Amino acid sequence: MDAPAASVLDDRLYQRLVELAAPDGAERGPGRPDLRPAVEQALHHEARLLDERLYRAWLDRFTQDCVYWIPLDPAGDPRTRVSYLLDDRRRMEDRIGLLETGWAHAQEPPSRTCRIVSNVEAWPLGDGDTLARCSTVVWEYRKDRLTPFASRNDYVLATLGENWSVRFKIVRLVDSRSDVRKFSFVL
Amino acid sequence: MDALDTLIQPHRVHRSLYTDPDIFVTEMEKVFGGAWVYLAHESQLPEPNDFITARIGLRPLILTRDDDGGLHGLFNRCAHRASTVCQSECGSARRFQCSYHGWTYSNRGELVNVPFAEGYPPDFDLSDHGLAQVPRLGTYRGLIFGTLNVDAPSLADWLGPAGPLIDEFVDRSPSGRIEVRNCQRMVYRGNWKLAWDNAGDGLHPTFAHRSFVILNERQHGGARSLSQFKASPDDTGMYGADLGNGHMFVDQRPGLNQSFWETQRPVPGREWYAEQIEQACGDGAADVLEVAPGSMINLSIFPNLLIKGNHFETVDPVSVAETRLHTWMVAAEGAPDEVNVLRMRIAEDFPSLGNPDDLELFERCQEGLAIAEVEWVDMSKGLGHEAEEVSADGVVRAPVTYEGPMRGYLRAWLDLMSSDVKLTTAAAGEVTCEVAA
Repeated sequence: MDAPAASVLDDRLYQRLVELAAPDGAERGPGRPDLRPAVEQALHHEARLLDERLYRAWLDRFTQDCVYWIPLDPAGDPRTRVSYLLDDRRRMEDRIGLLETGWAHAQEPPSRTCRIVSNVEAWPLGDGDTLARCSTVVWEYRKDRLTPFASRNDYVLATLGENWSVRFKIVRLVDSRSDVRKFSFVL
Repeated sequence: MDALDTLIQPHRVHRSLYTDPDIFVTEMEKVFGGAWVYLAHESQLPEPNDFITARIGLRPLILTRDDDGGLHGLFNRCAHRASTVCQSECGSARRFQCSYHGWTYSNRGELVNVPFAEGYPPDFDLSDHGLAQVPRLGTYRGLIFGTLNVDAPSLADWLGPAGPLIDEFVDRSPSGRIEVRNCQRMVYRGNWKLAWDNAGDGLHPTFAHRSFVILNERQHGGARSLSQFKASPDDTGMYGADLGNGHMFVDQRPGLNQSFWETQRPVPGREWYAEQIEQACGDGAADVLEVAPGSMINLSIFPNLLIKGNHFETVDPVSVAETRLHTWMVAAEGAPDEVNVLRMRIAEDFPSLGNPDDLELFERCQEGLAIAEVEWVDMSKGLGHEAEEVSADGVVRAPVTYEGPMRGYLRAWLDLMSSDVKLTTAAAGEVTCEVAA
């Protein structure tokens, strides 16, 4: 396997993430209806890739400078606070690589998931990127239990259409202040 | 409940320690009430009138700092009809008013106002009705502990040889102080002692964390986080130790033949932040970067604090088969901001990639323990083995895969469970706070 690419996460990228995430739910007015079909196409496709555990195909949809972030509430500045995870592309590959070793006990048996993506809104960001917000419930079934993970997600999409791609994905779990069940699949 | 001392034998422990609700109730009273329990760190309530909530076993608590800076462990229970009086995790408050009938307390625990005061008995005295308090608090390097046991040893004696090891963790910070920040909360369906067994267990990484070890070898190569457990960990010099009073220690440092930074798995931002530090610190950069990765020690302060990596983990029992684990981020005070940014990403690394496998295995243990007829859990590895060394301060050291630390904490558990420990609460003004270091 090729050596993984070096991290491109720097202070500037963190700063962009912080501005995007704070304050939580900054009011932007209604989303642009014309953007919604293309954004839904991407988000629904992403949901299906994850539910089918096509993790490599999922990862291919992320840019080289992507960040996948699951903050703890309040999100704040991840430079001074710990998150559930804040992954660059290299650590996303590690997360998938861990499952591929065949020895990730927490995924034996693997979770079966069904995610519902709803309340999709989208706004242009001016630099060609698109901001999308949605509500998501991931139902996880594993070992005789069905567990919901409810979140409000933010995406920055670098491309729309057939070749849609993600620059940032932020998963704000509604219950991240309380005790959550461990998750070892991708939210 | 059988006689407790029949449940713990030299080489094995009875399943009921993990499954019996009566034992759980008793240990929440006697073990958590009778030991010095870790409550919080002083950096979490730095200013006058700050507070943070905590628990001693199942007892909810508000740890407060009064306007003179003094610490108080107030039980979060109105003296009137028992409602909790504080609903926030932390904050700043001079007063706590019960929402139910309006009784109002100072942050020293005194009852300062009762609405509609007429009608109470003639001898009703506000000073008799303050919030009950933890009678003894103590601090060690900013870590705040409390006990309900008036006969407990001093905090310094309770910590014993664990104290200097706390020093080693804290003294990695350039200022000699740490700052405890936010926490990640996880819950598993299993007894709290499964996490405790695991904390002193140097046998499990090779197998439980096989995915992590293989991943690091495949993706990053060389000696990376946990690679010292890949094969024959006992040939590396790593050791486990029973420190007495239930405290346990696993030292992974002898297993490294490179710096902490070189063996640290690459985390997000590693390259850019390391470059900033190299530019700013020149020849000193290697020493500065060495503060970012975990400490390579696992220090477990019985019964509820696990110091591991570069973070704290608190073990918070909910019921006999449910436990919360809270992972508290610890920043190194006095280190460049860049080092602490890296510490954040490192503090997420093993907890999100490795801990899920631990929690899965705790839950599998709890499933297996349901079989009433298969009564015993084996903890015999290393027993009577001549590789065990006992040092002058009573610390028993042995190769890292031996199970001596677990046998040691269970002795401390049994002492507390079978003693007639006298647990009390105190009123405002009757509390002591000792500074152990």
